[in-house]
Amino acid sequence: MATRFERQLEELHVQMITMGSLCEKVITLSAKTIEGEDCVKEVFDTDKEIDAKEREIETLCMRLLLHQQPVAGDLREISAALRMISDMERIGDQAADIADLSRFIDKNCAQIPDEIKKMVEQTVHMVTESVDSFVKSDINLCRKVISDDDKVDEAFNKIKEELASLIHNNMDVKVGLDLLMAAKYMERIGDHAVNIAEWVEYSITGVHRNNEHQLGGN
Amino acid sequence: MTKKIFKSSILASVIVLIFGMACVLGVLYQYFGEQINGELKKEAEYLSYGVEMEGEKYLEQIDEQDSRITYIDENGNVLYDSMADEENMENHKDREEFLEAEETGFGQAERMSDTLSERTLYYAVRLSDNSVLRVSSTQDSVLTLTLQLIPPTLGILVILIILSGIFASKIASHIVEPINSLDLEHPADNDVYEEVAPLLSKIHKQSGQIRNQLEEARRNQEEFRIITENMQEGLLVIDAYTMILSGNSSVWKMFQVWEPKIGESVYSLDRTEDFRKLIERVLEGEHGSVLLRIDSEFIHLIANPVSRDGKTVGAVLVLMNETEKVQRENLRREFSANVSHELKTPLTSISGYAEIIQGGLVKEEDIKGFAGRIYKEAQRLIQLVEDTIKISQLDEGANPYEWENIDVYQVAKEVCGNLKDIALKKNVHLFIEGHKTMCRTVRPILEEILYNLCDNGIKYNKDDGTMSIHITEEEENVRIVVKDNGIGIPREDINRVFERFYRVDKSHSREIGGTGLGLSIVKHGVTFLGGSTGLVSEVGKGSEFTVILPKDGKKE
Repeated sequence: MATRFERQLEELHVQMITMGSLCEKVITLSAKTIEGEDCVKEVFDTDKEIDAKEREIETLCMRLLLHQQPVAGDLREISAALRMISDMERIGDQAADIADLSRFIDKNCAQIPDEIKKMVEQTVHMVTESVDSFVKSDINLCRKVISDDDKVDEAFNKIKEELASLIHNNMDVKVGLDLLMAAKYMERIGDHAVNIAEWVEYSITGVHRNNEHQLGGN
Repeated sequence: MTKKIFKSSILASVIVLIFGMACVLGVLYQYFGEQINGELKKEAEYLSYGVEMEGEKYLEQIDEQDSRITYIDENGNVLYDSMADEENMENHKDREEFLEAEETGFGQAERMSDTLSERTLYYAVRLSDNSVLRVSSTQDSVLTLTLQLIPPTLGILVILIILSGIFASKIASHIVEPINSLDLEHPADNDVYEEVAPLLSKIHKQSGQIRNQLEEARRNQEEFRIITENMQEGLLVIDAYTMILSGNSSVWKMFQVWEPKIGESVYSLDRTEDFRKLIERVLEGEHGSVLLRIDSEFIHLIANPVSRDGKTVGAVLVLMNETEKVQRENLRREFSANVSHELKTPLTSISGYAEIIQGGLVKEEDIKGFAGRIYKEAQRLIQLVEDTIKISQLDEGANPYEWENIDVYQVAKEVCGNLKDIALKKNVHLFIEGHKTMCRTVRPILEEILYNLCDNGIKYNKDDGTMSIHITEEEENVRIVVKDNGIGIPREDINRVFERFYRVDKSHSREIGGTGLGLSIVKHGVTFLGGSTGLVSEVGKGSEFTVILPKDGKKE
């Protein structure tokens, strides 16, 4: 029979999966709001749900840390979870910001550059894969997410150029700026997905990407 | 057990040894007492000779240390004592040994000495002048003698205990050894102590029972495994913490995971909201079902809670792949929508023309033209209905068609003859390549197939294009290839052109005519005849339809 500690770890895992899938849902919905669908309220609701989940997981992690004093892999998983939830929470917030912006954009959806739709797709895909990599503890998937970020960054640059030329050609400047903001938020979401993937990698290998050089120096 | 035997045997031997030693010491004590009595007697006798000969003086010159010598006259007055001062000593007339000696010549007694206040042994002898000579010795000396024996005895005891310990451990392990080496797999084959035999036979019986039960459990499990593994449906059992307890291979296939995920959370299979909500609900004790979409598959998930003592302890999930059903439903829905649409269009025109004529708004000379249009639309309606009937007949597959041997080449030629006029109108050249090829098939269906293929080849052609039929005989099949160099079909539509009412170019369909059912009829017809269809096409270059029919008809 599993011990209480193992049960709680499993519960943490389940909660993380739930929170991850909420993130996927929120950014898929926010992507829809850019394309003109009216689901802004749903986005806000999901964002609130994500915030509640964050606190719930945080409490669970603290309880685990204080009561069980985990070591090695378990400790890594819990500390990684603590970092991941803050990234996930940021994803929720930014998705809500996008939904907020969309209220000023959707009437002009004909003018939305195709590149934005592509970027949205890529970002959603990255978030899905980063959650997947956590669910499956798949290190290759982590690395793929981390390298995919370049594509999103590249797409953001392209969108910037395109919007600049559109604004030059008599696009409503306000809409153009809102679109740019939305694209920036998407780009940030991509970065958070990378962070999540990095923490998953850390919880598997015990080495965090940003600390590799320090370890190498020792 | 060894310990127990060792302990009890060593305890027994220690008790016996200590008891034995005590007995020996007791016997020795007795023996020494008698020995001392004898010595006292002898001493008294020797002394009495001396006293008889020399009187009291003899006593005074003796240096006696071990025993005490007392000389008493016939009145009980002490004349001499080797240890105490005779002047101070009381009269000994009433002493037991004195009285006895006066009476019988010698006396013996054992009591606490008043003088020395110790337990003392006395021996008294009556001399010839009726005086008494008494020799006494304290019992102390007996005890001292015995006590002197105790250290060597104890030494022997220790050695014996050590020895008995060694023997006890040897014996214990020797007794236990055959029990330790019992073959419990085959309890009946052992030949050890008869006291163990009932136990062995009991073990034998029980191990037989256990083996049977194990075998039964294994068989049940195997049965269960075979049943679940061969199920098309997925079966998943989870506990109250969403952990997967068991699942069959269909489940892993449906969720596209390549290794069983037993022991992980069910959310690692799917974490969509519908799925999570259902799992949450079922773990609260409610039944539920949901249609999941996994990639392009539709999975119908039915969840049943498992409860024990009124508490939900897990859930059984049954998953069914309903992709085909959902697709068929969609197709049917599309078909009925299409049919009603297709039927409505000509009817609207007919009703429109008829209404104008009825209102008398049309000039006499235009009525003919209107009637022509009504006729044309009616014809279209009739054709549509006919085509739909054909398709539903082929769908049913139960019509009593007559199977006969037909020359495919001949049929193709007739079809081309029928289409010559249309081809001429569109300036499309027709060719037939091949020779007499017999095939067992159903004539009306074959005609229908060829007619529709050729009709399409001509309709979707360009000016001065060609349409050709190639008939080749293969070992078991007849291959009919209908080729044109017309407009071709875009790649993304190739898979869909056989669907009912599907048109590549929806905007021009009315100019070209047809019902949109032609290729669907071809597909159904060929399937009915037990053959297969193929299509290769490139936009702008033309299309090539291949129909392969079995020569000796459908294999039933």
